Amino acid sequence: MNGAQHILDAFHRHHISTVFGYPGGCIMPLYDALVDDVGVEHVLCRHEQACALAADGYARASGKLGVCIATSGPGATNLITGVANAHRDSIPMLVITGQVPSGLIGTDAFQETDVLGMTLGIVKHSYLIDDADTLPAIMEEAMELAQRGRPGPVWIDVPKDLLLTEVSDAPFPRQGPQDAFCPDLAEALTMLRAARKPILYSGGGISLAQAEDSFRAFAEASALPAVVTLKGIGNPGKHNPYNLGMLGMHGSRAANKAVDECDLLLVIGARLDDRATGKLDGFAPNAKTIHIDADAAEINKLRPADLAIRGDLNDILNTLTGTLQDKPLAISDWQKQCQTWHTTGGFKAADNEEPLAPITGPAFVRQLSRIAPDDTVIACDVGQHQMWVAQHYEFDHPRHHLTSGGLGTMGFGLPAAIGAQFADRNSTVINVTGDGSFMMNAQELATIRRYNLPVKLIVMDNQCLGMVRQQQELFYDNRESQINLDDNPDFVAMARAFDIPALHIERTDQIRRGIETILAFNGPMLLHVAISREENVWPIVKPGASNREMIDETRRTTNKEHVA
Amino acid sequence: MNPQSQPSTPSYKINCRMSQEAAALERLCQVVRIRGFRIATMAVESTGEHLDITLTLEGTRPIAMLQSQLEKLHTVAEVALGQTSVVRSQTA
Repeated sequence: MNGAQHILDAFHRHHISTVFGYPGGCIMPLYDALVDDVGVEHVLCRHEQACALAADGYARASGKLGVCIATSGPGATNLITGVANAHRDSIPMLVITGQVPSGLIGTDAFQETDVLGMTLGIVKHSYLIDDADTLPAIMEEAMELAQRGRPGPVWIDVPKDLLLTEVSDAPFPRQGPQDAFCPDLAEALTMLRAARKPILYSGGGISLAQAEDSFRAFAEASALPAVVTLKGIGNPGKHNPYNLGMLGMHGSRAANKAVDECDLLLVIGARLDDRATGKLDGFAPNAKTIHIDADAAEINKLRPADLAIRGDLNDILNTLTGTLQDKPLAISDWQKQCQTWHTTGGFKAADNEEPLAPITGPAFVRQLSRIAPDDTVIACDVGQHQMWVAQHYEFDHPRHHLTSGGLGTMGFGLPAAIGAQFADRNSTVINVTGDGSFMMNAQELATIRRYNLPVKLIVMDNQCLGMVRQQQELFYDNRESQINLDDNPDFVAMARAFDIPALHIERTDQIRRGIETILAFNGPMLLHVAISREENVWPIVKPGASNREMIDETRRTTNKEHVA
Repeated sequence: MNPQSQPSTPSYKINCRMSQEAAALERLCQVVRIRGFRIATMAVESTGEHLDITLTLEGTRPIAMLQSQLEKLHTVAEVALGQTSVVRSQTA
């Protein structure tokens, strides 16, 4: 068995059935081995960046390892944005690239790049194979490492000659299970019971730890008012009466108010990112902090924790839940106060009753949320539409919301939707995108067509880079710079060129029919939604400002007033 | 300009043991840089499977943050923090 065949063999042993890749010179031995392999479905995207982003979407939707493959040089460099995206959002990913033959490394050979060197900052770990006999052990280690603890991308760069070299069939060492780590939670419970105004603050770490059910049970047993980060959307469930939604720069006034007033912040699986906290000095100024995370390096990184707990989130949450079920927290006044704030300061978007009125982003998303099936996966891109989805779509599970949180990668949504559809061929997957983001990976319409994926595409087209335009309007004296996209192609015709049917809507009375039409269609379909160029995402906190200083639609000035 | 008027920069000594692997030192140095520290001195000794690295670092961020980031590196076996001191800015 040569190195290439061994890689496929390792996929089989680890039940990896779907990989995303693009062939080229130095990875050809692996593609040659694929010819004889019927157990691995190789998805050919039309750009390596899309391969990495599709593997990312596959991993997010399924909880499994995402795998992407490319050749050396430009193949590898094209992967980088997708791998960086996975790194920033801690997505389990295995990246395999071909490299020029061992003897040519360092000679500026055709399609040679120092992949190991240029990717150090965007991987959990990486390897350059220099001995074919190390490949089996490294494959095992890489797949385990990508998924262990806080997940992340692991990159293996394999010189072409070593893909063709026979590898040793000697048994390779396997890593045993990690020691169980059972933190003492007594102090956490004491602090929770002592708090009068506690807030549950959760992020993407919940689904990364596959602790969705444990978290849901804890949120219900504790009945803590809950705020979520962008990646934590869906954690508490849409029927949780104390779910205040997203906090932060585009968070709800209620969520930011509750955090501002709280006396205890119970942070679970979140890293206190600047988009969530705003200016740290003014964040939750009166609160003690309990920080629970799988990654010790996140604790005390940005805000000192009064109590730090590192460990398995499932174990910790289950223990806390058991105790709280026996003796609930006595915080009814605080719960009512938060619900009042939520009523008055939660995300709102009145349905426009005027049938001929132009479509607004929030109203469209709220209709989509009501019409789409509960288990629909929404793969967003980056920009205003991403925030409207985060604010107004009611998610019941964090894996239903695929969004590029840390890196903010325009072009993420379409390939991520492809990955999610491969993760479950029967699920409803919708890519909600903007006209700017859509054009970043529009070539992947060909991938959707090739595999006849029933992905639905919703392009919210405001003929500009809306989020940049909005910030130029609000923070740069309305000096618009390089945001105009009014020469966009005809997206309906473009989709049809890929043999994907498409529909255009622009009036409020067309929303329902448009959504129902694409959802009912048996196959991929694009819905082109024309929206106003001038529409903004509200509320907004100026980057670097305190979350207390939210700007809202009616005033467009700094508003420091309380919600209630 | 009076050097005494320059802001002081904390200095730290860190001992790090990591596996011999391709790009081991680059990986270490990259984390040091991106987490806000400057390498003032660096000594490396190869001991078979391991590299023992002694670094003198300067930076104003909490050194514990860097230590925890270095400990996350898969091939780092141990990070030990040495004596802390304060050095005057070299720019004066």
